[in-house]
Order: sequence, then C-alpha cells, then structure tokens
Amino acid sequence: MKTQKYKILNSKEKKEIENKLKNQFGIKKIPGIILQKGAERLFLFQGELNLKQIREIEDNVPIERIGVYFAKQVQDSVRLSIEGVHLLKNQITKNIIELNEKDAKTWMYGSEVDIKTGKKCFVIIKHKDYFLGCEKASEKKISNYVPKSRRLKNKNILE
Amino acid sequence: MVLNMLKQRKIPEPKPLFLERMQKLFQNKKDFKNYLEILKHKPVKSIRCNTLKISPEKLKKKLEVYGWKIIQPWKTNPEVMIVDTELEPGELGRSLEHLLGYYYIQELASMLPVIALEPKQGEKILDLCSAPGSKTTQIAAKMQNTGFIIANEISLGRIKILASNLERCGVTNTIITKKEGAALCKRFKKQDLKFDKILIDTPCSGEGTLRSKYKTYIMWNIKTIKSLPKIQFNLFKNAFEILKIGGEIIYSTCTHAPEENEGVVNRILEEFKDRIKIQKIKIPIKSRQGITKWESNKYNPKVKSTCRIYPQDNNTEGFFLAKFKKIK
Repeated sequence: MKTQKYKILNSKEKKEIENKLKNQFGIKKIPGIILQKGAERLFLFQGELNLKQIREIEDNVPIERIGVYFAKQVQDSVRLSIEGVHLLKNQITKNIIELNEKDAKTWMYGSEVDIKTGKKCFVIIKHKDYFLGCEKASEKKISNYVPKSRRLKNKNILE
Repeated sequence: MVLNMLKQRKIPEPKPLFLERMQKLFQNKKDFKNYLEILKHKPVKSIRCNTLKISPEKLKKKLEVYGWKIIQPWKTNPEVMIVDTELEPGELGRSLEHLLGYYYIQELASMLPVIALEPKQGEKILDLCSAPGSKTTQIAAKMQNTGFIIANEISLGRIKILASNLERCGVTNTIITKKEGAALCKRFKKQDLKFDKILIDTPCSGEGTLRSKYKTYIMWNIKTIKSLPKIQFNLFKNAFEILKIGGEIIYSTCTHAPEENEGVVNRILEEFKDRIKIQKIKIPIKSRQGITKWESNKYNPKVKSTCRIYPQDNNTEGFFLAKFKKIK
C-alpha cells in the first residue's frame, strides 16, 4: 500500500488550528489548504487545486513538498514559522513583541533575548516593519529557534 | 553604467576547441574579441525583488540605507535590480532583507526565460527542471501565488535547495515533484493533467555561465555537447504532449552551443510540423536571432525567431531562448 506523506487536514481539523491561532495571535482565517507532515509540521498550499486533484498528482508522481512550511504544533499551541508570520501578518493583532535594534540583532544572530515580556506563550517578534518570526516567551526572556540558514552572520548588516 | 561595473580577474585558460567553436560562431573578429574580453570580468551583482513580499520601491529604499547603489536597468521590469556597489564576498546573501525573502540573487540573463514565458495569474504552469528555484520563485511572483506550479527536479540534493528557496520567498502555490522530466510528463499525460505554460530550462553544457562559474572552463567537453541534444529533445517532446492547445513553452539553455539550441529547435519543428508555431520573444535586452547554419547542418529558417543572448551585448551571462505555441 502506498503511504501518503502529507495528510490533508479536514475542515474540522483546520478549524482547530484556526481557533488556536485566533487565541494566540488574533488570526481569524487561514486562506488555503493545510497539510500535515509527521506529527507536528503544518504546510499551507494556496494553489488552485482541490483535494481530489492533489491526491491524483500524489498517486502518480513522488511529491517532495506541497506549499510552504508555515507552522508547527507544539503541545496545545501553534508556533508559526517565519513564512507563516509573513503570510498571516496582516491578521496578527496580539502577542506582538516589538524589539529595539540591539535586541533585534541579538535575535537574528540566533541568541535568546533577555527581555521582560510578562508573557508565557508564543509571541510574534517584530522590529520596525520587519516581521522576524515567532517564538516562545517566558516572563524574562524570549528563546530562539531561528534556523541557521535564516540567521544574520554579518554584524554590520543592520547598522 | 556598464564599464564601471566591470571587475577584471584571472580566469582559467579556455580549451582550444571551445575557442575555435566560439570564433566560428562570431565570425566578426571584433565581436569575438569583445566576447573574450568580457569573460575576464565578473558579472554584475543583480537581484530580483520578490514581489510576493515587498514592492520594488520599498525594497530599493531599504537597500539604499546600507549605502548600496541600486539601479533598475529595465523599465518594464522594476523588480530587476543591479547593486552597483563594491560588497564583501557573500554580503548580498547576508542582509536581513535576503534572509526574510525580500529578494532573490539572480543573474540578469537567468531572469529572461520567465519574462519571455509571461506567466499570468491563475495559470497552470510546469517548471520541468526547476532547481535551485530562481525561475520558479519568479513565476510564482508573477502569478502572485495564484493558479499552481509543478516544480520538478530529479536530484534530491537540489530539491532541498529548491524547497529552501521556495520557502524563503513565501511561495505557496507550488508542488515539488521528484522525477526524471520525460517520465514525469508521461505520468501527467496518463493522468490527463495539462498545462497552460511549460518552462524547460534544460540541463546544458553551460557555456553561458563562464563569467560566474570557473568550473565550466574545466568541465567543458565536446562529448557533453554532442550527447545532450537527445536528452533535451526528449524532454521537450514529452512536455509538448501535456501542453494545452494554445499553450506555450519556453525552451531555454545557458549555453551557446548550436547543437543544444538551434539544433534542438530544428528537430522540434521537424517533429511537430503544423502542430507547433515558433513565437517571437519579447525581452528587455539586446538579443541576436538564432543561426541557420552550423558546421555541416542547415536549420529551418524559422529558428531565426529564437534569441541568442551574448555576454558582451548587455554585460550579462549567455543564454538561449525559444518560445513555441501549441496549435493542435
């Protein structure tokens, strides 16, 4: 039997993700099809193909990726990827932490930021009009899981 | 503008047969000399604004804050930019804007196949040989993530780079498949999945990339040039079968070798006869028409509609483009 690498979330499952994102960030609607790979990783496909058409392609050729990795399910919460934040930024209304330039640099170099947020949840990291990502905040710091490939390496580049 | 961007450097010695062939191709001595001269110079640093994330105006302003001089060389394509400033190696790829996917580092000539393809919103497009994703991300931006793109690549290593680039650029309308190109088309034919447009940026001997890839000097050999046309034609032949009537295909290479260019186009015209029409191509830089004679071969005069992009004409890399429409 052919195993399917991507599970297409049904409307109930999609609604659950939307509800979590609404509670966390005020996001009301996720436009597109959500697919799940493994236990946690969520992908968003916004192309004009319906579920049946995607399945037909999947049955005929090996698919490596559908859409973009946009979020990860972490226990009862959802952590948005950098792209997830970018795709949904116009809907984000709460749990936004605006960093100053020094902290934004620290964050983008891949380090934790020692900042009192008073929150214990996932937050959206922002600097000026740059949406930098989404990360877990504790009361005194924001942890950092920025992938190596998306980290700043040149210390002068934000100056 | 062009002259002050030229940066001379040492290059490996081109192979004698390569030089002989290029001389034959140019005929005009001054032209050949200009060609050899420009190979000694680094290509300009060019980027393409990712309009899925930011407008060219906003990006230009952000990059100018770094002291970078930004030139938009083509009026019809404001997303295309040249960074006319001396930068440290790799600096272009380390800016915050690059990490966030606001732009893609792409050589100017490499942007032409998609400009010639003219992707429209809502179309179904197949990018048959898509890694590393420069053209796929360009197509997605033109389509504003509507319609859908099948981005195919055979190599798993290259798929990882492709996926990473699509992700960084926020491309959400694309499915990445891993299959040999001709075999993929056969599967889609069986499934009756047809496309409005297909891009075949085919594997080639890469003669046009000498300015940025030294290894092409070393890897160049005539055997590759003689063996590739069979693969290139086979890709086209199978892709043509899954193109809608009225649909269009761009066949492109980054080589000057006529065997891989006009030779393949000639065979396409012979094979598909009245089912296909070669199209004129609209691109924003100087190009030369395809050649109709090479060594002992004479090609269909219609191959003149193809475009040869030479490095010395626009200070770019070299490229070749052909556009076709499926009539029946």
